[in-house]
Amino acid sequence: MTTSLFLVQLINGLQYGLLLFLIASGLTLVFGVMGILNLAHGSMYMVGAYLVWYFFEHTGSFGLSALISAVIALLVGVFMERTLIRQLYRRNHLDQVLLTIGMIFVFNALQSILWGNDPLGVAVPPSLSGAIPMTDVLEYPIYRIFVALLCVLIAGVMYFMINKTRLGMLIRAGESNREMVECLGIDIRKLYTIVFAIGVMLAAVAGVAAAPMSSIVPGMGEHILITCFVVVVIGGMGSIKGAFVAALLVGLVDTFASVMVPQLSSMMIYILMAFILLIKPQGLFSS
Amino acid sequence: MFFNTRTERIFIWVFFPLALLLPLFLAENTFFVSKLTSVMIFALFVMSLDYLVGRCGLITLGHAMFYGLGGYLFWMIAPEYEAVNFWVYTFYICMIAAAVALVIGFLVLRTSGIYMIMITLAFAQMAFYFFSDSIDFGGTDGLFIYVKPETSIFGLSFFDLDNPTHFYYLCLLSLFNTLIFFRLLIRSRFGRVVDAIHENPGRTTALGYNIFLFRLMSYVIASALGAYAGYLFTLQYGFVNPSMLAWTTSGSALVMSILGGMGSIYGAILGTFVYEGLHFSLEHLTEHWMLFMGILIITMVMVFKNGIAGYLEKLLEKRA
Repeated sequence: MTTSLFLVQLINGLQYGLLLFLIASGLTLVFGVMGILNLAHGSMYMVGAYLVWYFFEHTGSFGLSALISAVIALLVGVFMERTLIRQLYRRNHLDQVLLTIGMIFVFNALQSILWGNDPLGVAVPPSLSGAIPMTDVLEYPIYRIFVALLCVLIAGVMYFMINKTRLGMLIRAGESNREMVECLGIDIRKLYTIVFAIGVMLAAVAGVAAAPMSSIVPGMGEHILITCFVVVVIGGMGSIKGAFVAALLVGLVDTFASVMVPQLSSMMIYILMAFILLIKPQGLFSS
Repeated sequence: MFFNTRTERIFIWVFFPLALLLPLFLAENTFFVSKLTSVMIFALFVMSLDYLVGRCGLITLGHAMFYGLGGYLFWMIAPEYEAVNFWVYTFYICMIAAAVALVIGFLVLRTSGIYMIMITLAFAQMAFYFFSDSIDFGGTDGLFIYVKPETSIFGLSFFDLDNPTHFYYLCLLSLFNTLIFFRLLIRSRFGRVVDAIHENPGRTTALGYNIFLFRLMSYVIASALGAYAGYLFTLQYGFVNPSMLAWTTSGSALVMSILGGMGSIYGAILGTFVYEGLHFSLEHLTEHWMLFMGILIITMVMVFKNGIAGYLEKLLEKRA
């Protein structure tokens, strides 16, 4: 492998890893704080991609469409938590699995009713199109670098929010002791609604960001869901820091495996997960 | 009393006689007979999962690995153009699957809870890609089974596997035997310990039981039965392909098991028939069957706290 090819793969891997982090962070946040295993998380990634396609067709502005999609996702998150998820806090994980699988069915059906089953595509916004030349023959698209930077920015904002703000303090408190937070007179239900909605929005934003890079197809949510679970479990359930490290690890392993050992490439991240869980049964950064 | 609850007895007395008589009325309609057969095969698979998840508390999302393995093993060990003995190969396949489960169980049972769900998924995904990426095993298309086994015992043959009605009765018998087997297992000393481990692992360890060993044994038993179900599926349709090992197969089996009522064993039959029945009828009514299926599943979680079996028990049991 030449140096330039190695470099391109390295950037590809990091960029894929960062995108994975964006989705996985919502999943791990919701699990860590609320103890809810949300299998419909991948569906929100799909919904984000379809929403941005729909609004882009009507408004013609990618930025505006992205904003509208994020807001809609936030509202959908609030609605989901208020009507359904809320009933399940005192039930076991298996009931949550069943409920969220039911939601996957509903989201998939709505997608096929509203937008059909044909693959769709969104054009890269003109201001972000083009590519940066790396060597004489290789160049790297600007949009992908933009997405990577956006993911880093969001990760930074999340880190700041959780560690430095009042909301973040409540989230950390709710994570370690729900009853105590309630006793201190804080409305934990409102907190849960906010956390769930933010988690859902993160998945949808990832879907929006991914839309111009890949085709928008039915079933894209389930595929990404499994990969995100791999990330979350390698990192340690509920740990955002773990999700960050694991996402980069999975991104790099997956990218390099498809170049270096193509015959094992689809298996590689599962081999990685099994290997890590056998050494550290609670993931890398278990709380 | 052999069965735990009145509800279970009523269910067994309704379901099995009905299933026994059904082919007499459907003699012309081979489609329905074979459809019912495949639902019963899957119910057997769900039942083995139900024992693992509901009774032992070992949640796995990789059970489909053994379902697929049952099919692939038959292709691997049976000669291609020669009819082999069904019972002998049942024994072989269950034993090999049990050996595989012993190794994998030894590794995955070191973890617990959500981590166990994921590591079982990891092994199943590896198996999935192993078979679907390999040209020797037919890739994503899978493989055909050209000759079905014969079923003679000491020269007496009761079933002809090419006859859908005969195959139906073979599967019904298998399902019934599995149900009885699990009932006996749960009533046995072994089953009591497994229940105790599910209830309180710490205390059971303190009583001097090696809980890892009991969990491993349960895992091996359930996996061997899962492989048997996959073997039956392969014989019914005459092919085996990687979708049998896909995580969605494990996922839908888990849904059926929760729907039926976790740990009730007979609930697996209820769950599978209700789920497949809804799927089948909605699919014929509307293109967007998934919407109604989703809404029904969500409603059922909200209404039935312990699955359909739990709901029926609440209706039928006398309150003490």
